[in-house]
Amino acid sequence: MASLALVPSVFVYGTVFGGLAVQAGLWPLEVWGMSVLVFAGASQFVAVPMLAAGTPALAIVLTTYVINMRHYLMAATLAPSFRRYKRRWLALIAHLINDESFAVAAARSQPPDAGVYLGSAAAIAGSFVGGVVVGTLLGGLVDDPERYGLDFAFPAVFLSLVAVQLHRRSDWLVAIGAAVLAVALALVLPGNWHIVLAGLAASGVGALVLPVEEAA
Amino acid sequence: MRTYIWLTIVGMAVATYLTRAPMFLALASRPLPPRVRLWLRLVPLAVLPALAIPLVLVRDGRLATSLAHPPLWGAIVVLALAARGVNLLVSVTCAVAVVALLRGLG
Repeated sequence: MASLALVPSVFVYGTVFGGLAVQAGLWPLEVWGMSVLVFAGASQFVAVPMLAAGTPALAIVLTTYVINMRHYLMAATLAPSFRRYKRRWLALIAHLINDESFAVAAARSQPPDAGVYLGSAAAIAGSFVGGVVVGTLLGGLVDDPERYGLDFAFPAVFLSLVAVQLHRRSDWLVAIGAAVLAVALALVLPGNWHIVLAGLAASGVGALVLPVEEAA
Repeated sequence: MRTYIWLTIVGMAVATYLTRAPMFLALASRPLPPRVRLWLRLVPLAVLPALAIPLVLVRDGRLATSLAHPPLWGAIVVLALAARGVNLLVSVTCAVAVVALLRGLG
């Protein structure tokens, strides 16, 4: 099953997050709490340096929301597979929606198979949280993360995630437009508002200007 | 107990749950309007560079323009590898290694 191939990657991803979060100054209990309650890797990688910089909570929450808005699409696609489930189970299953399980379930059948999705979500959640716990316990072993380039793991993860999504010329325009705008805003604005503003502006302009056929 | 941290974590949890649950619980049988789907597809394409590129190019509120700036080379390495379909963890590890190596040399 494809999910099993993802488990080691997600586990290591979790250890990287746990280690970096502790090195950034978070306490292990805070990192575990975030990983269980938020359970959205990309936004957690984003939040840690913002928390370490003392960014206003509202800016971090808004950034988290913007980064995780992709879940709306996944939830809409997965929902019809769970029509027979009780609402209290749906409320829990919704919390486990993640990129990897969505990709596995949606790639396998249409509409996605509920069992395949649940098995994958359980495996991904277990390996991510397990990885985070291990990472928080081992992370303190590295004294000077910058010396080993570990601070660069944050932008490197984001860049590799965006690189695999660049298919059309318009994708490149949105990504480059957001990057240029974000750099310009970061030079003049305090905190990390440039992320929300550039992210909303570039995606919003793209959605208004591009032909609607590019939604797929 | 650090209130600022936990307040932020709970806020993040609520914000993230609001991206997952409403659509899922409503069991939306109808697809989203195409222009909304287009926007949602573009959001990560815009947010991820908006996040990463300033981390690479902005240092202490100023633009890093020197070629002797290790994160610049790390960014080139990770983009080149990921664009060729190299595994995410391998790409990231190579980029981190390049940055560490250049910092060691510098």
